[in-house]
Amino acid sequence: MSEREAPLLEFRDVDKAFDGKPVLSSMSLSVRRHERLFLVGTSGVGKSVAIRLLIGLLRVDAGELRFHGARIDELSEAALLPLRRKIGMVFQHSTLFDSMTVLDNVALPLRKHGGLGLAAARVAARERLAAVRMEQHAARMPAEISDGMRKRVAIARTLAMRPEVVLFDEPTTGLDPVSARHVDALIAELPATAGVTALVVSHDLISIRTVADRVALLYRGRIHALGTPAELAASPDPVVAQFLAGRSQGPMDTPGF
Amino acid sequence: MTALVTSLGRSVLALGRELGGLILLGARLLHALVTWRRGAPDARELWSALHRMGNRSVPIVLATALFAGGLMAIQAGTFVKKLGATGLAGWGAGYAVLREIGPILIGLMFSGRVGANTTAELATMTVTEQLDGLRALAIDPLRYLILPRVLAMTFMLVVLTVLGDLVALVGSSIVGYTVLGIEWSTMYFSFADNLAPADFLHGVTKSVAFGGAIALSSCHFGISVRGGAAGVGRAVNASVVSSAVAIVVLDFFLTYVTA
Repeated sequence: MSEREAPLLEFRDVDKAFDGKPVLSSMSLSVRRHERLFLVGTSGVGKSVAIRLLIGLLRVDAGELRFHGARIDELSEAALLPLRRKIGMVFQHSTLFDSMTVLDNVALPLRKHGGLGLAAARVAARERLAAVRMEQHAARMPAEISDGMRKRVAIARTLAMRPEVVLFDEPTTGLDPVSARHVDALIAELPATAGVTALVVSHDLISIRTVADRVALLYRGRIHALGTPAELAASPDPVVAQFLAGRSQGPMDTPGF
Repeated sequence: MTALVTSLGRSVLALGRELGGLILLGARLLHALVTWRRGAPDARELWSALHRMGNRSVPIVLATALFAGGLMAIQAGTFVKKLGATGLAGWGAGYAVLREIGPILIGLMFSGRVGANTTAELATMTVTEQLDGLRALAIDPLRYLILPRVLAMTFMLVVLTVLGDLVALVGSSIVGYTVLGIEWSTMYFSFADNLAPADFLHGVTKSVAFGGAIALSSCHFGISVRGGAAGVGRAVNASVVSSAVAIVVLDFFLTYVTA
């Protein structure tokens, strides 16, 4: 197995339930180095749960999570802190700290982990903001910028830690089409520009077709189909076909409907 | 009857859960303090908390202390004038201010202003996933957010109580002179001759305990919030009520132990 094909992140038979209701059941998935793997599925199927498990924001009920082949599901909260510098996450609602300017949001991980003082961290943060074309908004507060801008700042803040992997939770949800494509472009160039592997939770069909190297369809708690966008598009599986066509009619059950 | 027992049981369980949460948070904060070298509190957060919680509370605390001191002078003055012992007016007012009224009133004001604000801030950060955002950035919210706030609240309540004590004594003297006709010098010597450092330290000790209780309560209810905006409201309410109860209960035991 080549280095590129070796799994960087692995879910092995992972179970997770809430109040006795199973969400993930024996879910297994491997993420390769420097790929953009999209984890897709209908709302409420457990996609966000799956990526939160990876950085210990939630805990698995059973099964294993591995990073570089080593188990990470049993790490204590203190031991998870160094891991989270290697596996970053961009949340659906960006989670910028609303008491800080855009610049200080990006400077925070640089101050805390980069050993930089405030002035040096702000200089470095300005460069990171320039990379996502947000440097002209550095002095503004998060509440004063649009959702799409907040998402770009959140990406800059996560990348400031120089992680190996970035987990994206529905990065284009709620954005206008233009902002969504800006975010897609940032994700698309991550492996080449920052050497970052991206695991993206999404149900944005345009993002899936244009950015994903591989797509994993999560259905009924486990990976139902896995392949390149083209392979999935050609799949005769009615569940895959229904999801990719965005049809309400079909075999796929949608939680809450 | 069954419903009553069920309701009582639920309340006891809820109280136990909150008490357990408070104790756990206190233990984790102590651990963070002991293991200071692994991650000192963020200096910017600490400085900002000291400024927000201390400096901005000064006007309201001083106004409260001024009138509370005056009130004590009126209460003490009525009796000392009847007995012709105006030389004890300062002692009566000062004793009550330093040992009880100062720490309690300032503690309650502080809880309403700073404690409630801290709970609302942390609860909002929790429901908007900003705390998870911090954890995802490999930053421990306990060391980065909670510890600086707890240190700032405890320290600033002591500082405000000391300031408030001084202003309250000035308030007593003003009211003693203008309302009761007691000379400034009489009030001054009444303070100086009858009040002991122990009276002052008694109040300061209480303010340390009250500050710790307000800090713990406001942070606990802030980070354990459930639900959205309604949850934030409930958390603030629980924080203010539990801080007020803690202040009165702690005051009783601290007074009892040192009496």
